[in-house]
Amino acid sequence: MVRDWDDDRLLAALGQALKAREAVPEWFIETGKSAFAWHNIDAELAQLTYDSELDRRAVAVLRSETASIRALTFTSAHLTLELEVTGNSLLGQALPPRAGELEIQTKAGVVSTTEVDEIGCFSVDPIPDCPFRLRCRTADGTDVLTGWITI
Amino acid sequence: MRDDPHVIALVTGASGGNQDARHELVDRYAPLVYTICTRYRPSNHDIEDVGQNVWLLLVEQLGKLREPAALPGWLATTTARECLRVVTAMSKAGRLGTGLDDSVLFVADTMIDEEILVAERNTVIHAELGIPVDSIGPVGSIGPQRARCLERLRRSDVLAALAEGEEKIDIRGGERGA
Repeated sequence: MVRDWDDDRLLAALGQALKAREAVPEWFIETGKSAFAWHNIDAELAQLTYDSELDRRAVAVLRSETASIRALTFTSAHLTLELEVTGNSLLGQALPPRAGELEIQTKAGVVSTTEVDEIGCFSVDPIPDCPFRLRCRTADGTDVLTGWITI
Repeated sequence: MRDDPHVIALVTGASGGNQDARHELVDRYAPLVYTICTRYRPSNHDIEDVGQNVWLLLVEQLGKLREPAALPGWLATTTARECLRVVTAMSKAGRLGTGLDDSVLFVADTMIDEEILVAERNTVIHAELGIPVDSIGPVGSIGPQRARCLERLRRSDVLAALAEGEEKIDIRGGERGA
């Protein structure tokens, strides 16, 4: 019981707690807090549900050949975004297919918008060389934001 | 943690959109997320990305967290998963000198349980004493302020419950007193 701990043991626990907090840079806490500013409660957050990169690592022991195309899937309750990296562009499709608009966001804000055609296809060209996220708003009012993507 | 009404209030507030509650969650759990990040040795830039993703995912998940006690575990595994994703991407892009080091991943996996327990205890200690804890002076000196702090920790029900759980699990390298 903590009640029975002597001063030394409590001080050790206290010192450990202080050290853990001191190790965290201020910017880490600040960017954590500012992350919420990005969070639009109208947009659903789409989670990464497939990444060929992780898959490849898992099956590397079974297969010798590797796929050359990086593929990612982000899934939310109402919309799935499938992405494929080809060269310096990112080809994607919103599923189920429908038209809309796609925003490409970096830490600096919205850098560009592109059209999502009636079969849900879009392309991001060039791929930002910094982490980015996609926000897809479709004609029927679905609004989905992906997590940060690093290609 | 299981019965900590303050954590329950924080989770409820943060999931309802309360900005102060969200910020306090970041304050409380940033050391846990940060420590796990550093196990994977990503760059500061990547740690920033991982952190942002973890907090955003947290806000999405808060409504589904029935027990606040599950929060540290959820944060730890989500952080580890996000780190793995980033580190793998780096490795592929050739931004790491060597390929993905399996030993790093193994160490990271086995460290997590212990990390969660220690981080939970650290969080409770900070919460019990209030912020800033730094004002109690350098570790090693025993003053009246420090004595009050220790007494407060001794009387903490939340810390007592946590320590009891720790003793059952038998943390490697932990001190065994009293």
